[in-house]
Formats: sequence, structure tokens, C-alpha cells
Amino acid sequence: MNPKIEARSLSKTYVSARTGDKVEALRDVSFSVLPHEFVSIVGPSGCGKSTLLALAAGFALPTSGEVLADGVTITGPDPRRGVMFQDYALFPWRTVLGNVEFGPFARGAGVEERQAIARRYIAMVGLDGFEQRYPHELSGGMRQRCALARLLANEPEVLLMDEPLAAVDLQTRNILQDELLRLWGDDGEPAQRRAVLFVTHGIDEAVHLSDRVIVLGRRPGMIKEIVAIDLPRPRRAVRNSAAAGAHVEHIWSLIRDEAARAIVEETV
Amino acid sequence: MTDAQRRWIPLLFFGSVVLAWEAAVRASGQSALASAVVPSPAGVAIAAARTISDGTLAAATAGSLFRVLLGFTIGAVLGIPLGLLMGFVQPLNRAFGPIVDSLRSIAPIAWIPMALLWLGIRGNAAVFIVTYAAFFPFVVNAVQGARLIDRNLVNAARALGARPALIVRSVILPSALPAILTGARISMAFAWGSIIAAELAMGIKVTSGGSGAVGLGQLMVSTLYIRRDVNALVLYMVVIGVIALIIDFGMRRLQRTLTPWRQP
Repeated sequence: MNPKIEARSLSKTYVSARTGDKVEALRDVSFSVLPHEFVSIVGPSGCGKSTLLALAAGFALPTSGEVLADGVTITGPDPRRGVMFQDYALFPWRTVLGNVEFGPFARGAGVEERQAIARRYIAMVGLDGFEQRYPHELSGGMRQRCALARLLANEPEVLLMDEPLAAVDLQTRNILQDELLRLWGDDGEPAQRRAVLFVTHGIDEAVHLSDRVIVLGRRPGMIKEIVAIDLPRPRRAVRNSAAAGAHVEHIWSLIRDEAARAIVEETV
Repeated sequence: MTDAQRRWIPLLFFGSVVLAWEAAVRASGQSALASAVVPSPAGVAIAAARTISDGTLAAATAGSLFRVLLGFTIGAVLGIPLGLLMGFVQPLNRAFGPIVDSLRSIAPIAWIPMALLWLGIRGNAAVFIVTYAAFFPFVVNAVQGARLIDRNLVNAARALGARPALIVRSVILPSALPAILTGARISMAFAWGSIIAAELAMGIKVTSGGSGAVGLGQLMVSTLYIRRDVNALVLYMVVIGVIALIIDFGMRRLQRTLTPWRQP
């Protein structure tokens, strides 16, 4: 099976605009995301996981190596790879409807078609009745749903998600995780699922959602281990199971020391 | 005290001041209406009735407003694109920034002699001054607007399949719009402030007797030197102030209408 996303010896070095220092964000990172597969990236802060997602989205280009989508080198953003941002990146001047219909609008759909698409996905994420609200009139969880509807309305083949649940409270987060899984097809046929690359700092979240978890170390970001999560789906039945706990414990042991160091270094 | 009662306080106070003014003029023993130097509320009211009924006030106000709108529009057309370009393209900002900063620190009315020298007193000089006054707030705020654009939103639009033209229309312009409208509000206030000064300095052609295409400033000059009507002068000052208030109110309304996504 050809991977939907493939990273080949990816390295990324930034030059700080302020100090002129070179910052090595990623070094020699290789992995793949197969069709229908849910892959998470975890790691301590400063491990370059958001950089990795930006490279897969095509917002930035690697210093060396390459990222391929369906075997073709990525040189820029593509609507077939949908992106969900940490702060949702909703357009503040567009209503919920206006945000969700933006993808079809950008691809040239007529008013009726794009509104029909948008309303379908707004209903799917449970935001019906809020079509005319502006993002600042929504709660954090509702904005997150709106961003998800906007992402899905474009019917991308691959979902790239950058800590999409980081900004909501813990209870909301658990609910949204299971909703995300439902929309992805956790209950259904694996062939119906889309490939997902999901960045998170929550190890339990990564274990709960993913088929495989890529564990990154920091400074420079290098792969420590790729952990296969062999838990049965649907996952909501095995939340907090002993097997899930063992995976979390194992991943935590891989990054604990660096995470502790990160706390000190981030403050200086 | 209820809210309704509280609302009457400024009106009552204002009314008392006007009454006290009228009483003071009458008590001073001068015949207020005939006085050449002491205005009175009753005299202002009479001047208002006369200038409104013979159309001079409306014509002069329209003349000034027309020049302000013309200068404001030219200032916007030149200033907004320049400011946006300066905000996006660093070398342009380096090149134009110092010139813009130096020129905008020269008060528009300081240009009046040059404007008169180059453009004469027919009204183009006033339009030039107003354009100059309106131009810089547009530039400065458009630079800010361009800088405030969120890269994430541009990336979001790109990832949703938006081409460059759509990104400019759907992301960059709306991002910059709040700052541009702030610039417009300041520009409008500056423009209205400087039109009066420019028209006062342009004065009137004595041969035309103060008639023809004039603004409020010119009407004030003719009132001062020809009619010698102190009450009318006060009336025009009141009109200038009221129009400034209306302009500011209108610009705030425009901001709310055009950028409804901004939290109040």
C-alpha cells in the first residue's frame, strides 16, 4: 500500500530573524502515514512537531529531505491535504456558514451548492442554529467544531491536525476526542477512514486516537520510537483500559527526562 | 436620581449657560443686535434664520463638504495602497518611511502659502491641503493593518484551496480593514479641521463680493470684512463644530457596519 504521506530524511533548520542563530528543529525524520491510518506525533515542547506538520501541509519547505503526498514531493499547500490549526484559524469576518463554505467557495462552487455542503457539515458537528454567528460569539468548543466542519467540508484526502484540542477544557476534550473518532469512522469500515496526521502533547490522547504514535525527542527533533497501538476500535470502549495505560506509560518513559529539561530551558 | 433625570442634566446646564450669556449681553447696556463685537444667543438665532432662508449657509456648507470629500477620497486612493505596500514590502517601508514621517509632521496648514502659490485661490489649494491632511492617517494606519495580518489565516486559506487573488480579497483586505477604517476616521477629522483653515487663508476675491463657489471658511472671511456680522461668525463656528460631531458619529457607525466581527 502506497503511503498517503511520506517523510524522507526530513531536516529543518531555522535562522532566527532576531538573533541570527540557527535553530535545528528537525533532524533526519522519516515516517509514513498509510491510507486510512491515524498517526499521532507526540513529544516534549520544542521537539519540532508543529514544524513537521507545517512541512506536511506545505506551508514551509524542508532544509533537506522531502515530504511526499501520494508519491509526489510537496511544494506548497493543497486542498487535498486539509489542515486544522491549534488556534482554529477561523476567519473572524466570516460567520460559521461563511467559514465552512470557504473551501467549496475557493474551488468555485456556486452559492447554493456551497451552502448546501456547509449546512450538511455544520449539522454533522452539531452547530446547526449557529450558522450566522461570528467566531467571537462562539465558545472554545464550538469554534473547534466549526473548524472541524470547515476542514471536512472541503473533503480532503488527508487530515493534518495541529493540537486541535489543546485549547479546550478536559471534559470537553474527552467528548471532542470521541466525536472526532466518530466522524473519522472509528465504528465503521477501515476503508472509509481518511489518513490523519495528528500533533498533540497529550500522550493519553495520542494513544486513545491513533493506530501509531511517533515519539519525537527534542533539540534537534529526532524520532525516538514509532509505537504501534494495537487497541481494538471503537476506542471509546477501551478508554482508561490497562492496555492503553501501558502504552501511555511506555511513551512517557521515552520522553520524561527531556520533558523535564524542556521546562527548565523554556523558562531561561 | 433616575437615568431619565440624569440625561437632562447636560441639557439644563447648557440652556442655563445660553440664558446667562443672553442676560449678560443685555445687562451690559449695549444693544446686542447692533453690536459689532459682542455676539448674543438671540443674534445668532436671527443670523441662523437669515442664512438658512437665503441659502448662503447651505451653499457654503456644501462647498466645504464637497472639497473635504474630494480630498478625503484622493487621500484614500493614494494612501491606502501605499500604506499596504509599505506594510508588506520591507524595502519599500525603508524607502518611504522616513519621507512619510517627515512630511506628516508638517502641519497641513503650513502648506497653505505653497498651495496658494502653486494653485491659486480658486479652491484647488483647499483641496490640496485637505488631501494632504487626509493622506497620512491613511498611510500610517494601512501600514499597521498590513502588519497585523495573521499568517495562520493566510495559510488556512491556502490549505482550503484559495488562489492569491482570493487570499487578497478574502483574507488580507478584511484583516487590514479595521485599521484602515480607523485611519479613515482620523483622516476625516483632520480633513474637516484643515478645510476651514485653508478656506480662511484663501479668502475671497473682493470683486466677486463673496459670492460664487465658496466654503464656510470663505463665508467667514466675507462676514468678517464685508458684512461685519459677529453673530453670523459665531453661527458658522457652531455649524463647524456640529458637522465635526456628525462626521465622527457617522465614521463610527460606518466602522460598526463594515466590521461587524469586531467585538464592541
